[in-house]
Amino acid sequence: MDTSSPAVFLNAKLLPMHVRRRVRAVIQVVRPSGGGVVGKSIDEKQLVVKGSPPLPLISHVEVIGIADSNQSIHVEIWTNFGDTFDMYNYNKLCLFANGEYKHLFI
Amino acid sequence: MYANQFEGSAAFSGGGFMPSQATQTADPFFSTSKNRDSQPLLPLTVKQISEAFQSSDDKSNFLIDGVDVNNVKLVGMVFNKTERVTDVFFVLDDGTGRIDCNRWVNEAVDTKEVEGISDGMYVRVHGHLKGFQGKRHLVAFSIRPLTDYNEIPYHFVECMYVHSYNTKLQKQQGGASTVNMTSSAVSTPSKGYQAAPPNQYVGNYGIDGLKGIDQVVMDYLQQPACLTREKGVHVTEISQQLNMPVDKITISIKALEEEGLVYSTIDEYHFKSTGNG
Repeated sequence: MDTSSPAVFLNAKLLPMHVRRRVRAVIQVVRPSGGGVVGKSIDEKQLVVKGSPPLPLISHVEVIGIADSNQSIHVEIWTNFGDTFDMYNYNKLCLFANGEYKHLFI
Repeated sequence: MYANQFEGSAAFSGGGFMPSQATQTADPFFSTSKNRDSQPLLPLTVKQISEAFQSSDDKSNFLIDGVDVNNVKLVGMVFNKTERVTDVFFVLDDGTGRIDCNRWVNEAVDTKEVEGISDGMYVRVHGHLKGFQGKRHLVAFSIRPLTDYNEIPYHFVECMYVHSYNTKLQKQQGGASTVNMTSSAVSTPSKGYQAAPPNQYVGNYGIDGLKGIDQVVMDYLQQPACLTREKGVHVTEISQQLNMPVDKITISIKALEEEGLVYSTIDEYHFKSTGNG
């Protein structure tokens, strides 16, 4: 068992609190950009995710990687979450996972 | 048929491994907790498992939020899948931590199930939590790849709900654990309470202003075993289980009904708690 490097659920607002840590976020793909993707976070803000995305990119993508600035994540793992992913629920989960129920996650 | 059974037991009675003993547990309280009803499938995070209190040297005896943990469900990503002769090993990462899992492969259906998973895939795993020499691992009995990723937030929301429910119940019981999904009779020094054996309903503490018999009746109806019964519990059963006269139970039930804490179900003798099961 190893709980030394959890990947924290987060939205764009929570990202600055976890810079240089392992994080996980779901983005809505807006456009590819050099060396990554520009996306919209679950709380409707712009996020830049760097790395080599799997193709073809579907609407919602989960990224797990290291938060390297207030607005960008260096991605290690990409997972296509499909077109029917519920961003509202996920955003609520992020808030709980960094708030009242943080102790269950990190 | 009886003769065969008798011969069978006689054959084993010479010593060594005896089946009749295999089903007996050293602790009489645990013998009642090992039935299927008292072994719910708990949704958990790996972080919760890592912090679970191992209540004895028994290799599968964990407590989380005051509840005995046997079977668990986890949702996470598969890593390091390794196929071995009789089982498949993998690490499950749910974002809160990583736990070693293995799945015994006995039949063709098991082989098919494990062939369907690969590294980097999100899966829902149901399994039995085990601990050995301080190391915890999961013996999986079901591994299902996720097809709808909404299951991920759903799982974690469920973890939070169950955690809330169990910790709230712990607080309500004010230091005396009755039969909340378990009949644990072990002490948990980390939480500072001594669990009570089943059918020992302590009425000397009050929740929401309830006292005496009302409290005891309420505690009885709040047990998961009662909450899950669709028809509720018959007044006579409550009376017998609590060793109190039926008329006193009836008066108490009436008071609880007026408070909106219980309701009658199929007839005027069956009652259920309005509490969430």
